[in-house]
Amino acid sequence: MKTLFVATLTSLAAASVLAQTNPIRIGVVTPLSGTYAGIGQQVRWGLDLAAREINAAGGVSGRPLELVYEDSEANPAVAVQKAEKLIQVSKVDFLTGTVNSGATLAVGQLAERNNKLIATTVSFADSITGDKCSPNVFRVNARAGMQSAALADWMAATRPNANVFYLGPDYEMGRSTVAAFKNAAEGKGARTVGEVFAPLDNKDYSPYFGQIRGARPTVIYTSVAGNDTVRLFNQMAEFGVSRNVQVVGASGTVTSQNLAAVGRNADGFVTGVGYSPLIETPENKRFVAAFEAANKAQPDLYGTDSYGVLFLYKAAVEKARSTDTDKLREALRGLSWATPQGVKTIRAGDHQAMQDMYAVRVNGGRFEIVGKVAAAAAIGPDVCTRF
Amino acid sequence: MDWIQFVLAPQVINGLAIGVAVVLMALGLTIIFGLLDVINMAHGEFYALGAFLAVVLIGLGLSFWLALLLTPLLLAAVGYLTERTLIQRVFHSKDRHTLTLLLTFGLGVLLEDLLKIVFGANPLRLETPIAGATELLGLFFPNYRLFVMLFGGAVIAAVWLLVFRTPLGAMVRAAAFDRHMTASLGVPVHQVYAATFAFGVALAALAGVLLAPMYSVFPTMGRDFVFIAFSVVIIGGMGSIKGAVLAGLLLTQVQSVSSLWISPVWSDPLLFGIMVLVLVWRPQGLFGRLGHA
Amino acid sequence: MLETTLHPQGRALPAAPNRGRRADALRWIAGAFFLAALAFGIVAWAVGDVFFLRLATEALIYGGLALSVDLLLGRTGLLPLGQALFFGLGAYVSALVLKHWAASFWLALAVAMAASALAGLMGGLIAIRSKGVYFALISFGLAQVVSKVVYNTRELGASDGLIGVPAAQLGAGLSTALPLGFFLVVLALIFATWALLSWLMDTPFGRQLAAVRGNEQRLAFIGVDPWRVKLAVFVLAATIAGASGALYPMLRGFVSPELMFFQVSGNAVINVIVGGTGTLIGPLLGSSLLTGLRSVVGSWTEHHHIAIGLLFVIVVILAPRGLVGGLAPRLQAWLDRRRDQELS
Repeated sequence: MKTLFVATLTSLAAASVLAQTNPIRIGVVTPLSGTYAGIGQQVRWGLDLAAREINAAGGVSGRPLELVYEDSEANPAVAVQKAEKLIQVSKVDFLTGTVNSGATLAVGQLAERNNKLIATTVSFADSITGDKCSPNVFRVNARAGMQSAALADWMAATRPNANVFYLGPDYEMGRSTVAAFKNAAEGKGARTVGEVFAPLDNKDYSPYFGQIRGARPTVIYTSVAGNDTVRLFNQMAEFGVSRNVQVVGASGTVTSQNLAAVGRNADGFVTGVGYSPLIETPENKRFVAAFEAANKAQPDLYGTDSYGVLFLYKAAVEKARSTDTDKLREALRGLSWATPQGVKTIRAGDHQAMQDMYAVRVNGGRFEIVGKVAAAAAIGPDVCTRF
Repeated sequence: MDWIQFVLAPQVINGLAIGVAVVLMALGLTIIFGLLDVINMAHGEFYALGAFLAVVLIGLGLSFWLALLLTPLLLAAVGYLTERTLIQRVFHSKDRHTLTLLLTFGLGVLLEDLLKIVFGANPLRLETPIAGATELLGLFFPNYRLFVMLFGGAVIAAVWLLVFRTPLGAMVRAAAFDRHMTASLGVPVHQVYAATFAFGVALAALAGVLLAPMYSVFPTMGRDFVFIAFSVVIIGGMGSIKGAVLAGLLLTQVQSVSSLWISPVWSDPLLFGIMVLVLVWRPQGLFGRLGHA
Repeated sequence: MLETTLHPQGRALPAAPNRGRRADALRWIAGAFFLAALAFGIVAWAVGDVFFLRLATEALIYGGLALSVDLLLGRTGLLPLGQALFFGLGAYVSALVLKHWAASFWLALAVAMAASALAGLMGGLIAIRSKGVYFALISFGLAQVVSKVVYNTRELGASDGLIGVPAAQLGAGLSTALPLGFFLVVLALIFATWALLSWLMDTPFGRQLAAVRGNEQRLAFIGVDPWRVKLAVFVLAATIAGASGALYPMLRGFVSPELMFFQVSGNAVINVIVGGTGTLIGPLLGSSLLTGLRSVVGSWTEHHHIAIGLLFVIVVILAPRGLVGGLAPRLQAWLDRRRDQELS
């Protein structure tokens, strides 16, 4: 009898130890091929580094983290299919990695229907934690409104009542980014002297330069991205349009993916963003050094926010003492955790991370910090009404 | 008068630079179709290949000008090989049109993916070889753009002369008109085909190198020109060199000037509308085809 | 015999099947395919799988699109490079009906089919006047223009698309949220479409299509207006593509402009060529195989696009008849030998 009792106790203990050390699977559905592969690469670097550090320090509640990657090809239809594979076949506990907002929304809906949580580290469309918010979707990076706030603040301080010309790509994201900044800027006294929207993937911006010159702006704001940025900036330099004009833009306009191709023509460009490798905190310096050592490349905001999301997850799981979705959701709301950018807090009302925002200027390939807005001022109102 | 000088004239001149680029692309396409009856859906990718090759050559230390000379030659060789090894194989089947369309379509997909794998998805930079700007009519135009216009124009003129004023050109036109007769006259028709395809590809590659400093280099850049090049070729007449030149210059002007009044986003739909109208009114395009018109 | 009169020089792509003889092999292959699909569904359900059932459903949905492409390419000789337009249109209409009107399967399907037919009529009037590369480019251009408009329209969700599409009800408590249930419904629909098209190919209309493909001018000589025939088949293809598209939001709960992009049209053409142009069952097979392949290879390597591209080029050069196109004659020969043996 006693032997049976001891045997049962031992096997129960063994079973619980086994349960404790089986890995927590994080599903990462991110563009590994296609136009956004560069962003997916940074996401991967950030996540891998964080996972290594967390596992080296004992894992999450003693359990190691395991990352499972799938290629979303920056296409929501593919992202949803791969996310379902991750949930059903790979049995992941948590999802992350989506880049474009369409994919985040669609995968978020899938997560809701399968009772799992997803955190995005890249998508900045306001709607994700705004009118299309979901109880299963969290956002670790800054949203577009926060970026605009930081930039508008800097612009009002350095160029009060500026004459601003807006140039954006003609699609929803491009237009709404311009509209959001215009709102913030006009609210602080800037004047709009012109607005033009070029087709996405436009080759030649010279047809618009006449209009721009005629409007005589002191500031040009643009929300182009990727290859369009390279063309616009190079052509503006060729035609002398950007001489004596301050060029500002969205955070996605000049990134590590296109910086090399734009080169010195990006010097002087200022944007509002949640991260710069030059942030002077000891955590950031340590992080940048570790990232560079591992990947032979500097981290950008996508890599850094992806690094941060795993630490958020760790903090939440340890607070909830469980990976159960409902408990995790409760633990995440209002949670603060340390990141290379300082301490961030997840606002309970809309699952948006609050953080200090920076105005950053590109100079010789570096992102210099020229301004800062505190988290509370940058975050903007909570418009999520679903929960 | 002010409006003409400061608004209209720049649009026209910039339109010319774009127009020269488009004509170079359309020329290669129309020549390939005119002679081989092959629609090269991978034309955009050869354009991209030219740009990437130039980046590689310049990275190896060559000057831009040397790259400008070498790249079309190297890619002409690639084009020659492609025609002899791949296109010839499907050339003699009776469903040749669809098969070559599909083959070149598949080839285009392959080449684009290959470029992504080898060079990565991020854009690459090519320094502008001629810096500075010139003042014209009170406005500044980048010197390199003016060069592109002049050089491109010279190339187009040279092609025209080659096709219409030389014995070689006569041979090519004869083969386009009636290849069996031409073959029976002792012209090596197979080599002529391959050489013509190579020539068309070389033109695309040349455009790639020429435009790279203006439009930057990245794996999907081939798609920039596909739609407009094909539209120009169709409107001008598939196989017609005169058509490609005139339609190319005209249509880019229409797009450039119309962007003063209508939102630029309607440029492509406008072009599409014109193409449909032309096809309804004159299905063979404005000028018919090589060897025939 | 009709074949020889119209095509004295023979052909490279598979001809419309000689009724009575080659149809046997194709029907065999089709039968095997549908039975295998059914078996797959039951096994997957029995082991409690969800992902593979939904992936297979998606493969069948794209199979419907491939059928519509084959109708144009394999049967009428018109290469469409923009069929995704109707697929995406059907998807959006279906999503809107389910979200804002009623979550009824039949209503969404019907409205989507009506919308696609109408769009097919309008598109056809523009495109039908041309053939060969002109048709391909007009088809491509139409899809470009419309997808751009959708991409920019805020009411349609713009570049994010529309989420929140509820599961559709089929009546009798059946909902499209059930993996096996919806798989079987889609399988039945695709089967019905295939059967309808197979039957249609044996009717006078079907032979008119073959005639258009072979030699359009001669068709006019026997008193049939090729323009009408082409328009009719274009509308039919558009409707089938739209119906397939309508099923997509029921499966995934959302739609996005990517459903109208060239990649979808291009993939459909690849599916048809690899499967076997003109065989109707070939495109279904090709679609199933390649959808599965894309998913599986995509999990191994980022370079999956090039693998498919390479496969496609190899097929076009070395085996332009595709899988079924190559298999069917051999199977037919074997069947004929068996029949001869039985008779003797």
